[in-house]
This record gives sequence, C-alpha cells and structure tokens, in this order.
Amino acid sequence: MKRLLLVVLALLGFAAPALAQRELTIVAGGGRLQEHMRATLFRGFTQQTGIPLRDASYDYNVGPIRAMVQANNVTWDVVMVEAPDLIRGCEDGIFERIDWSVVGRDKFLPDGATTCGAGAIGWGVAVFRDLNRNPTGPSNWREFWDVQRFPGRRALRRGARMTMEMALMGDGVVASEVYRVLATPEGQRRAFAALDRIRPHLQFWTGGQQPLELVNAGEVAFAAGYTGRVATAITNGAKLDLNWDTLLFAYDYWAVVRGTPHRAEAMRLVDFITSTGPLRALAELWPINPVTAAVANDATIRERYPLMLSRHQDRGLHIDTEFWLDQGPDLEQRFAAWLNR
Amino acid sequence: MPRTRAALTAWDERGLPPEAAFAALAEESGAALQDRRIGALAQRLNFEQSGLRALLLRTARAQDRLAAPYAESLPALDACWGDPETWRLLRRAGGPTTSLYLLRALDLTRTAEGEVRRVPPDQALFRTLFLRTLWVSLLVTAACVLLGWPVAACIAALRPPWSSITLLLVLVPFWSSVLVRSTAWFALLQREGPVNDLLLFLGAIESPLQLIGTRFAVLLSTVHILLPVAILPMVGVMARLDRRHLHAAASLGAGPWLRFRRVWLPLSLPGVLAGAAMTFLLAVGFYITPALLGGERDQLVAWFIAQYLTREVNWGMAAALSAYLLAMAGAVAALLRALTGNTPAGTRA
Amino acid sequence: MPGMRPSPLLLLMTALVLAFLSLPMLAALWLSFSPTEVLHFPPRGFSLRWYADFFESERWLLATRNSLLVGGATMVVATLLGTAAAIGLHLGEFRGRAVLLGLLTLPMVTPFIVTAASMFFAFSLIGLAGTLPGLVLGHTVVAVPFVLVSVLASLSTFDGAMLRAAASLGAAPWLAFRRVLLPRIWPGVAAGAVFAFATSLDEFVITLFLAGPGQFTLPRQMYANVREYMTPTILSAASLLFLLSVLLLLVTEALRRR
Repeated sequence: MKRLLLVVLALLGFAAPALAQRELTIVAGGGRLQEHMRATLFRGFTQQTGIPLRDASYDYNVGPIRAMVQANNVTWDVVMVEAPDLIRGCEDGIFERIDWSVVGRDKFLPDGATTCGAGAIGWGVAVFRDLNRNPTGPSNWREFWDVQRFPGRRALRRGARMTMEMALMGDGVVASEVYRVLATPEGQRRAFAALDRIRPHLQFWTGGQQPLELVNAGEVAFAAGYTGRVATAITNGAKLDLNWDTLLFAYDYWAVVRGTPHRAEAMRLVDFITSTGPLRALAELWPINPVTAAVANDATIRERYPLMLSRHQDRGLHIDTEFWLDQGPDLEQRFAAWLNR
Repeated sequence: MPRTRAALTAWDERGLPPEAAFAALAEESGAALQDRRIGALAQRLNFEQSGLRALLLRTARAQDRLAAPYAESLPALDACWGDPETWRLLRRAGGPTTSLYLLRALDLTRTAEGEVRRVPPDQALFRTLFLRTLWVSLLVTAACVLLGWPVAACIAALRPPWSSITLLLVLVPFWSSVLVRSTAWFALLQREGPVNDLLLFLGAIESPLQLIGTRFAVLLSTVHILLPVAILPMVGVMARLDRRHLHAAASLGAGPWLRFRRVWLPLSLPGVLAGAAMTFLLAVGFYITPALLGGERDQLVAWFIAQYLTREVNWGMAAALSAYLLAMAGAVAALLRALTGNTPAGTRA
Repeated sequence: MPGMRPSPLLLLMTALVLAFLSLPMLAALWLSFSPTEVLHFPPRGFSLRWYADFFESERWLLATRNSLLVGGATMVVATLLGTAAAIGLHLGEFRGRAVLLGLLTLPMVTPFIVTAASMFFAFSLIGLAGTLPGLVLGHTVVAVPFVLVSVLASLSTFDGAMLRAAASLGAAPWLAFRRVLLPRIWPGVAAGAVFAFATSLDEFVITLFLAGPGQFTLPRQMYANVREYMTPTILSAASLLFLLSVLLLLVTEALRRR
C-alpha cells in the first residue's frame, strides 16, 4: 500500500506543472509556419509586454474547443480557426467578441475582421501540375473538366466545400454566379452531374501534403492543392505550375476562447500579432498570405513573393462562409453519399 | 426560447400559428442572438431543412426593425414565415425529443404530413454504410477464424515449452497497439514502400501499385490486427478438451478426416464461436485502420461517428449512428450466445 | 488436442500465419533504423537519427509524458476499482452476480467507437470532457474489466472461510485483507494493473474524443503525424511503444507463473 502511495505521489509530482497557474496560451495549426510565428509574433509579444506566452498546435477540429468551454475548463486563450467554425462558434458563444477598441479594426482587408475573429492568414486552393510531365494543362476550371483536351487523372479535396464550386465552374458557371446557382436545387444537381461526368478521372485527397505527393509521383496529372504548400515546393526548386485563375480562397481567424481568465491579455495579443511590424517580420521568414492591407500591399514583400496569395486574390473566388454554414451539412452528406455510391 | 415554444405547443399545426407565436419569436430570437444562445437552435433547424439557420439569424438581426402586428411584419421580412411548414419545423425543433436523427441515420425522413419515407437516392448514405460495415466485419471475422483455427489447434496440441512459445508469438501482437500496427502497415504499403519494393524485386509487378487507399489494405491490416483476438478464445477451449474422445474415436477405427469432422470440430465449436464473436464485435467499431489505410469508399460507420463528433459537431447524428451500431453488434452477440449458450466474455479467460 | 502431435500440414499453416502476424511489426522495427527519409526495404544502412529526432522533439516528449501520466493514473484507479469489484463478486453471495459481472465486462464487448462516443456525450454533460481526469476515467472504464478478470482468476482458488477464520481470531477487516487475502491474490492484481496500464497506453479512440484539444498522447500524436506526413520518426515512436508493450506482456507472463 505504501508503495502504491509513492506511485501516486510521484505521478502527482509529474503532473504538478500542469496544475500550476496557466500562462497565456495561443494555438495555431502547427508546422513550419508556427515555428516562424513563434520566432516573430509570439516572442515579440512577450518582449514588448513582458507577458509570458505559450503556444500549442491543433488539427482544426473544433469539437474539443466546444467541450472545453462547456466544461468551463478553458486552457487555451487565442486559437486560429477556419471561418465557418468561427461564425458558428461565435453564435454559440464559444468565442468572445473581439474588443475592437483594443484591436485595430481598420488594418484588415475586407472580411478580415468579424464579430469574434481577427484575420490571421489567407489560404487558397488552386490547380497545379508537374511541368516536366505535363508541359500544358488546364488554365481554368472549364478546361480542368475537359478530359478530352487534357487527359489524365485529377485530384481534388475530399469534401463538398470547394469541390461543389469547382464543379459548377467546370460546368461553365462564372465565378460571380457560383453561389447564387449553388443555392438552388437545380444548381446542386448540376454540380453533382458535372462531378459524375469526370468521376472516373477523379481521385480525392484528405491531408494537405497528399496532392503534392500525388503529382510528384505522377499518380495524377493535375491536382487542386493548397497554394502555400505548392508555392513552398516551387521555391524549393520543384518544377510545378500553379494556376492562379483556378484559385478559391478564404481566411483563417484568430479567435479568443470564451471564459478565458486572460481575456484582456488575449485581446492585446490579437492586436499585436495582427499589427504591421510583427507581420512584416514574419513575412521576412515565410511567404504568408497576410490579411492586413499594409502587409498585403507592401511593395518589397510583394516583390519578394511572386507566389503570395494576396497578389492573386482578385483572380480567385472567395469561399462563401455563410453559404457553407447554411448548406454545408446537407451538401457534405450528399457529397459523402455521392462518393460512396 | 420558452415563450415561442409555449405558443407553438398550443398551436394545432393547421394554418398559421397565432400572433402570440409570431411576437414571441420576433422578440426571443433577437434576445437569443444577443445572449448567443441561438446557435444550437439554428443548427438544429438547419438540419431539418437547409436554409432555416439563415432565416432565423436574419430574423434575429432584424429585431429592431420589426413591429406589431408580427404576423404581418415577419412574412414581409421573409416569405418563409408565411409558410405553415416553417412553423411546423420550428415547433418540432423546440420539442424535448425528436426522431429526426434516428430516422436520418437510416436514410429516412419525415414529410410535412408526418409520414416516414426514404430520402431521395442522392442523399442516401447510411444504409450503404451499415451494410458495408457488416460485410467488412463478416469478411474479417471469417478470415480470422479460418487463419486462426490451425494456430489454435497447433498451440493446443504442442507440448510445453513449445506451446507457450507459440502462444507468446500470438500474445505479442495482441498486446501491441492497434495504432502501432496500422502505422506499420501504412509504412509498409506506401507507393515507394517495402511491399512494393519487394514485389518489384521479385518481378511480380512492373510499376509500384497503389495499395494505400484500397479496400485490400483495410482488410489485410484489420485481419492482421484481429487475428490474435480470434485465436485466444479458441486456444482457451481447445486446450481444455478431453483428448480421450479422440483416442476413443481412433480406437473405434475413425480416420483422421472423420475424427476431425465428427469429434474435433464439434468440440472446438464453442471456442470458434467465441473467437468469432470477439472479432466481429471489435471489427464493427473499427475506426483508425480504415481511416489510415482506406480510401473514400472504404470508411465504415465509425468514421462518420467520429466526423460528426469532432468535425461537424452534430451530436445527434453521432448518437443515432452509435445506437444503431451498438444494436447491430448486440444482435450478432445475442445470436452467437444463443448458438453456444455462453457469453463471449465468459469463455475468454 | 493436448498431447496429440500436430500434423506437418498444421505446423506449416501455423508457421505461415505466425509469420504474417509477426513480420509487419518486425519490418517496421527494422525500418525505424533506416538512415534515409524515404523508406526502402531493406534499409540501406543503420542509424539512430529518428530516435534522436523523437527524443529531441518537444511534441513527442510532451505526448510521452501525457501517455505515462494518464496510463499511471488509469492503472491506479482501475486496479483499485477492479480489485474491489472482483473481491465483492467472489466473496459476496447475492442475486444478480452474473448480471453484475456481465455489466462490468460490457466495455470489453462493446464496439470501441460506441464506448468512446457515449463517454463523450456523458462527460460533456458533467463538464469532464476535454480534461485529463475525464480522460483517465474514460480509460478506466475500458481497463477495469481486464483487472476484474485477472483478479477473479487469482481468486478462484481462494476460500472465503479463511477470511472468516481471520475475523474470528480478532483481525480487523483491513488487517485480514492485507495479511490473508492480498498475499494470495497479488500476482493477479499486479497483472491486472499492468494490463490496465497497457490498455491506457494503447487507447486511441476514447482519447481522440475525450482529450482536450492540446492533450496529445503518444497514439494521438502518431495518428496526427501519419495522416499529415509519414516520417520515420513515427516508426521510431511506434517501435518504442511496441517494445514497451512487449515488456509489459513479459511482466504479466512472469506474474502469471508465480
């Protein structure tokens, strides 16, 4: 029995750091980007304010954040979230409203500032191909759907969001009309019919690295992949062509988790990591896709990163968050049904 | 929204609800938006019919601009409020219980008249999914029993210390984690991975095969993972068998095949059924292995439960799918119990 | 059949199946010493760099810490509960024992995903989801049956009359438990405890649902990495976990022989 007690005590000692007063915590998507964020944004905040800051990463699954708020056991303060999760979490009271008297609101691009979110980074999906294997390729979604002119397998993300838009554009709908058409039952049928047409040539990926692996291995001729990753590959010497006319993009946001004991510091943190100085420093290290006007329009940064998303944003389709909140559950299930048919 | 609910409960679903319901909705939706309680109801309504979330939020945001009589100002804001169907759905969503998720999880839906009907074929998903789960689990169970039977028989027949050593070779994989073994298969089956290397080296194939993302990969690794689960109960029963039966059969002149068929097989049957039951019960709940090694058409019910729980935050669907999965597992367990007159767990130790 | 010599055909089939059972893990173990990032078989050379990578990575170490912490706590709680339940079931004479035993071993025969989802719902209601204590309780639920079965097996030869004899000699219940019962059943208790620890260490689905967003255990960290980018570091983590399970297995086997 005594030995058992010792074990318990040892374990408690092990756990002690976790029970101690929690530091301000920020959570992002991990990877190289977060390492650079740590070096510029997060350390910069601590240097300027003296507030200690810890960072962690997660997989963008918001279910656990919800549970954390309901359990009143908030261990994260600032989280990077996707737009639909942000809006839903905002309506459900999972995230605090951003205090726009602390966080400057004017610095953001349109849609960069919402009730509960301050724009973090932009991300996009566009068609790319291996230039050695395929010197020519589709230059828009219509041509992507043209399997006669551009034969070969194609890879898209597994999921309705983005794929439905692509299908309609492949069927000839212009970008500005996509969401109006997709909101109607006929439009949805049309999108699925378009997918049906090229189904034998389609392959679906789940992880962000997969489309690059598929194209590199010659498994598919063309793939829609995250522009950031493709751009990095190109910068590292890969002979890839990234087609900006097929761009679909959206923003990720910084949100403050509701019920955090560090609310005031969290707002200051959000303001700091969206301000021009730190973001410029981050852009020196990593080709980010800024959501603030000053950094997006900065001449030296634009010069430096020809593959920066914000340089090509005007050619792309902004993914409609509200549309996907309304139609998403239904369309995702029908997409899954279509996939499994 | 208690007042709206009360007003709608009093309503008989014929025609439009009374002004009190309109007024309560107009006021309470605005308050719910302010207090940020509106999300759950909005999501619940939207699951009944896409677009209702937007309608509710638009109404809540327009609260300041709405004025009595609300039975006129609400339909003026959006024609949907002039449709009794919208109110019927709202009334249903306000109820304490709903059969919606249980129906949807079987590809069924309730019409405005309350009639249960199949969803249109382009939305049907879950029947396929349950059938696939059943089929994959049965295949895996059959393979595990067929492959496991000789091993169990061999362990039971060997003398110590060989029996213990062989048993240990079964116990080692049994003890190592499902995720570790799925990961191992993931590494082995990669396009530029060892299995393809080996096949190329042997000249069996000319270019690497796509193995990950196929049903074959899922079946292969699931069988590998569950094989010890099938073997151990069989060993438990076979090791306890009374060998005098066999000797008696042999002394009565029965040949090996006859001995196997008439004595060994019936006597080891309880172990076989217990092993099959354990294997099946674990297989129906498999999540990681198909998620890692399967393609889009290889996911089982478990994948969708996880998806609804962690990603889409639709707990109703997750719960409904879990309930049916449990029922399916329970039915098979009960069937096997009836066949053996024994609980699978009881024969395990 | 005990004592019957297996036929050569049976031996051959057994050997093939056992090879199928063992080879993938052995191959993965070997591959974890690969010097290159792309996995060739056989590996061209030998290197410990992926193990170094593992032990230098903050994420992997944090996940290891979490795993050991949750596993240790689960072991303690599950062993206490499972042992108490086993003693009660063995010594107590009351109606519904069989039902109770069935209920307690139910998690063994419930599809894991269902157990995990139900726990997520229940724990969300009472605010335990997303907390480490919640995770420990979740693992305890699936670990208790193993302790129970193991302790029940060691109790099968124990006669309750011995406890009554001790009591009649004036021993308090606690003293009787410690001096009379525990010495007889401790190998079963210890084996159950090891099994509980191993169960928690391997558990993935419950962790996926119940762990807080930042609470990565080794399996969860492995899963996140495999899906994103397969590196040999994951194989080194898998190999370490595998070797640990083999070690735990050998411990229980040793205990069983006592």
